[in-house]
Amino acid sequence: MYSNIILSRRWPQFTCICRSLTTVEGQKLPQSSKSTDGISPPPRIHRNPTDILQALSATVGRDPTAAHFKYHDDPYLIPLSNFRKRSYALSAEAGRKAAAWVRDEHAVWFTTREWDPPSKIKTPYFNADPRIDAYAPKPIYNDESKVTEEDLKYTISNALLEDSIKVFQLLGGTDTINDDLKLNFLQLLCFCNEKEPDSLEWLEENWFSANTRERQLTTWKVGGLADKIFASLEPKTPEAYCALILGMAKHYQAERAYALTQEAIEKGIPLSTNVFNALLGCVGFMKEGTALRTEELKKLLSQMAQLDLTPNDKTLSACLRSVSAWGSGKMLQQFALQIVTEFRNLGIEPGLAAYYHLLCLFCKERGPRVDILSDILNNLEKREKLIPKEPTDTNFFITAMGVCNDHLQNYKMAERLHALLMKGDNYKLVGDAYKESIYYRHLVTVACRHAPFEKTTEILDTLVPNVYVPEPSVMEEIIKTLEIAGAGERLAQAWSQLVVFGVAKRVKLVERLLNAMCSCYDHQSDEVKANMRTAACDILKYGQRTQEDGGPIATDTLRTPMPKLSANAVTNVLQLCSDVKDNAAPEWEVVFEGLQKLRKSEAAGVPSNPQTLANVAQKATAAGKLGVAAAAVQYLAENGFEEAIAASVETLAAMLNRPREDIEAMLQQKTADLDQSLHPSAFAVVEAYNLAKTGVGSSNMEASNNSTSSESDSDTTSDDE
Amino acid sequence: MNIALAKLVQSISPKVQLLPWSPITSSQIHTSLPLCRIVSGKYRISKKRDKPLTYEMANPPHYIAHRKTWNSWNTSNIKGGLRRSETAIEDEFIRRFMSGTWHGLVCSEVIIKRQFNHIRVAAIVRRAVSPTKMYFLLGYSEELLANWLQCPVTLELQTVDSFQDVVFKYI
Repeated sequence: MYSNIILSRRWPQFTCICRSLTTVEGQKLPQSSKSTDGISPPPRIHRNPTDILQALSATVGRDPTAAHFKYHDDPYLIPLSNFRKRSYALSAEAGRKAAAWVRDEHAVWFTTREWDPPSKIKTPYFNADPRIDAYAPKPIYNDESKVTEEDLKYTISNALLEDSIKVFQLLGGTDTINDDLKLNFLQLLCFCNEKEPDSLEWLEENWFSANTRERQLTTWKVGGLADKIFASLEPKTPEAYCALILGMAKHYQAERAYALTQEAIEKGIPLSTNVFNALLGCVGFMKEGTALRTEELKKLLSQMAQLDLTPNDKTLSACLRSVSAWGSGKMLQQFALQIVTEFRNLGIEPGLAAYYHLLCLFCKERGPRVDILSDILNNLEKREKLIPKEPTDTNFFITAMGVCNDHLQNYKMAERLHALLMKGDNYKLVGDAYKESIYYRHLVTVACRHAPFEKTTEILDTLVPNVYVPEPSVMEEIIKTLEIAGAGERLAQAWSQLVVFGVAKRVKLVERLLNAMCSCYDHQSDEVKANMRTAACDILKYGQRTQEDGGPIATDTLRTPMPKLSANAVTNVLQLCSDVKDNAAPEWEVVFEGLQKLRKSEAAGVPSNPQTLANVAQKATAAGKLGVAAAAVQYLAENGFEEAIAASVETLAAMLNRPREDIEAMLQQKTADLDQSLHPSAFAVVEAYNLAKTGVGSSNMEASNNSTSSESDSDTTSDDE
Repeated sequence: MNIALAKLVQSISPKVQLLPWSPITSSQIHTSLPLCRIVSGKYRISKKRDKPLTYEMANPPHYIAHRKTWNSWNTSNIKGGLRRSETAIEDEFIRRFMSGTWHGLVCSEVIIKRQFNHIRVAAIVRRAVSPTKMYFLLGYSEELLANWLQCPVTLELQTVDSFQDVVFKYI
């Protein structure tokens, strides 16, 4: 019905198309334009289909306040700790893997339509038009499959190694296949060393195993399928030689690769630059000792010159890779610089990988400080664009930042490096998520140690927590920096960050934080002080809360039981929390709880500054919290601190509002007489005085203890010591 | 019109001997009374007035494009649109797949938006399972639907604490 288009209505459109066809496509477009009327359209620029998209995306930078795009944008699903980041990313990938398994297992259902008429049900059907291969199930090859050379071509071009070996065997091995295909197959085998390469689809899993993968071991399979195919090739083409030597050199079968190279040279077979690059990379496997190795390297390079092979940037990085792997020392460093100069003369600038190897060679952890990085940065900053060429390129930024942090300890340099990474499209050179986190670990550490405080906070505010979550060691650095700068507000926030990042159970960190809070508590504004007190209260309660969640019995059987805070840390909490004048403030409850903790020895060790506790007693008395004061003095007396006597006198003086002389006179009296006349809390202090004086508690110590706690404002009853 | 089609089918079937499992005979053609305008897409008030409705359910169909929008966004159903039946069936498949895979978690309509060859599936889910499990389901649904429909599929989920959060009113 709609097919018979009424032409008259479409006529303007049609003419328009015709006109455009004749004018734009038909006309010759001006190349070097010299037009008659003075208006010259610029020459046509050919665009790729994705160019506009890339231009658009270049206008939008990364938003540091949003989570990485692999996470779902929902408050419940945004990860805030390193553990969660990893587990969420892996979970999503596990789900995708499960789906891929279902697809491969039931491939038939994904290409046929159940609802088609019965005659068509089994006909393969592809929903997408044009068909997208990535969504189509992969063909399965087993012993019964009927295969052709097309299948072999398909498996080779898609790098399906196991499948291609299967198809190759099904086709009848080396005899039946033509030489072209055999060569392709040989190249695939040499590249992968007859082992299925890691799938590029499962990125998250790959970066988990990435650390263990890069080992320089001789893994080449001697007498494997590749060798057999090479033997069956007749005549042996240069490509075949190159493929086999490259494969051997790549998998560190150096001696055979060398022997084969010599054989090829003797036979007059032309070799490629890549072959020599690979050989240069495994010189270390041929010779022992630096001198012999450098000799060998030079020999190879001169051999290249004899064979008229032009070296490229990969030659340079292969040389440097070898040199940096041999160790360190002045001689090697000089040699490496010689190589770089030599290549500069040839017009080859070192790439990121070459610089990475140079950094490895020059900036050893315990070596003398060498500022090679500034030259490198000068050079790199001049370049318009950093183009990734080798997989090792992604190591550059993380190593360079490590050098800034450990070796040079220079924030200026780190800042320059970071600016370089953020420039243009360079961020993709940072590597995978693992490398990224190490990079930021170095950056944040160097910023904490050597940057002005404003810069540090700026960096922390942009990076934490979405781009980077600090590890415990880095968190400690941050706390140190905050302490030195006296940023009370940020220290109070740091506690909530510890909880969110899942490191609140690390006692060492928490104690560090409490120390920091105590040391810069005094010169804060009232509001900040209140925040810090709240944080301190929360720290003390945090341990209990997690214990209650697990249930009272389960705490001991937990796999990682909550470790005890030290007595010093608890004292710090007490010091912070007791700084309130108000009688009804909730902090007093926490103080009392903390004291009970100390008395029940739930905290490890004894406090190193008992004077703090004496101060707590003073403040408590001043606020009218007699029970708390008594508990503090009692604790001092029970643990035999010298401060106990002075503290109890002071406290009593404040409690009874009498001068010290009177109190001292009163304390000389018999305890029994005082029992009736004094407030129970005051009496407890008298008891503590006696205990401290004589070392022996009076007979009714227990009773007084109980009375103290029942009298005290807190609702908890203390257990007896 | 449906009735007319039904008659058409009846008139065809005696002449052309169709196989018993043929799609024409096996699919039931739904015929409905003109009453549909009054009751379809609307919810009946319960006796105790405690039936929960989401915002989407609370607005009857004639409010589409005024107070609420469509559940499927595509260009198949406009004049001259392509792949009408395929789109409808795929959408139904996606809806069933979502409610089955996210079992008991989806608490809203599943909204399906198509742009070019990209399908975006939006829904509100309950936070009844851990985020880790949600990520597994996310990855699974996206990959499986993408392979089934052979085009990129993106899930755009939002989470709510409980079903109560999406209740707009009780009738």
